[in-house]
Amino acid sequence: MKFNDKVPIYYQIKQYVYQEIILGHLKAGQKLPAIRQLAVTLTVNVNTIQRALSELTTEGIIITQRGKGNFVTNDTQLLQALKKRIVTEQFSELYDKMLALKITPAEMVQYLKNYIDQRKEVQHD
Amino acid sequence: MTEVLQIKNLTYKLNLVSILDDLTCTIPAGSIVGLLGANGAGKTTLMRLISGVAKGFHGEISVNQQTSVVNRKQQISFSHQLDGSDKRARLAQIVHDYTLLYPDFSATQFQQLADFLELDLHQRLSKLSKGNRNKFIVALTLARQVPLYLLDEPFDGIDVMSRKKIIASILKWKSETATILISDHHVNDIANLLDSVVIVKDKHVVAQEQADTIREKYGESIEDYYENLYTGGENDD
Repeated sequence: MKFNDKVPIYYQIKQYVYQEIILGHLKAGQKLPAIRQLAVTLTVNVNTIQRALSELTTEGIIITQRGKGNFVTNDTQLLQALKKRIVTEQFSELYDKMLALKITPAEMVQYLKNYIDQRKEVQHD
Repeated sequence: MTEVLQIKNLTYKLNLVSILDDLTCTIPAGSIVGLLGANGAGKTTLMRLISGVAKGFHGEISVNQQTSVVNRKQQISFSHQLDGSDKRARLAQIVHDYTLLYPDFSATQFQQLADFLELDLHQRLSKLSKGNRNKFIVALTLARQVPLYLLDEPFDGIDVMSRKKIIASILKWKSETATILISDHHVNDIANLLDSVVIVKDKHVVAQEQADTIREKYGESIEDYYENLYTGGENDD
């Protein structure tokens, strides 16, 4: 995995786990690889993995079972809320940037619509 | 958090030339710490002093509360550059010497490391490539069971694949309580591996910071942070 040098690694690992869950590569109730294995796979320090996992545990996304390991939560509502949160975060960033360019919300919708059509055409070619 | 290494007001001169001047730092147990500094900044000297190979300093060095050289040496595994070993010796012979020399040397762990790093122990020391020589040194160093490991430029002049193998072996075999101090002048190679960095410049420690704090608080990569400290914040590239 390639990391961005300027963003805390633990934060990037959290984003990676979110992504794996949203994509369904990690399913509800599924066991995560052992911490050391994750450290070797992602080439980061064990402490960094631990920090990421402990924050995910606080958020309730990951459940730690003593002696058994770490599991994705079975709470599907929480996982759906996670997806919504991640998508909202992306839009919020975009919205602020557009607002900074003095684009009105109505224009944003139009720009987005046009852009999506444009992308669709590119993919059809 | 407990400290595995404490250095207070360390001053060291060699032939009347000042090498380190009033250097102070503490290293928490269980972490991987990058010791960064330009060539000649005194990184190797500092490691030699910590490990007790070099003597005659002013100030205090304590490793797990041990200050005497004899007791300190039992707490530390320092990556020897094997300059004293017979160049014609086969690797297996050197490993055997290590088992006799260090009671804490784990032959089992060495074997696992050697297998992982694909070392051929029938080879002679002089026949090793730079990459394999560094791998062999890392395997020997990490096979000892001690609280503190000092790795002096383990990635110096080696190819990418060897570097990745060595990094993976460090991650795989470091016990939770062990602490590793790695010196390097090329930060990017090891940035993801580090809990924190200690930067040596002008004979003392100019900064000590958690790696993710540098990224979070300053929005900088470890390399930029390090370079800025060296150039005094000037942007000269």
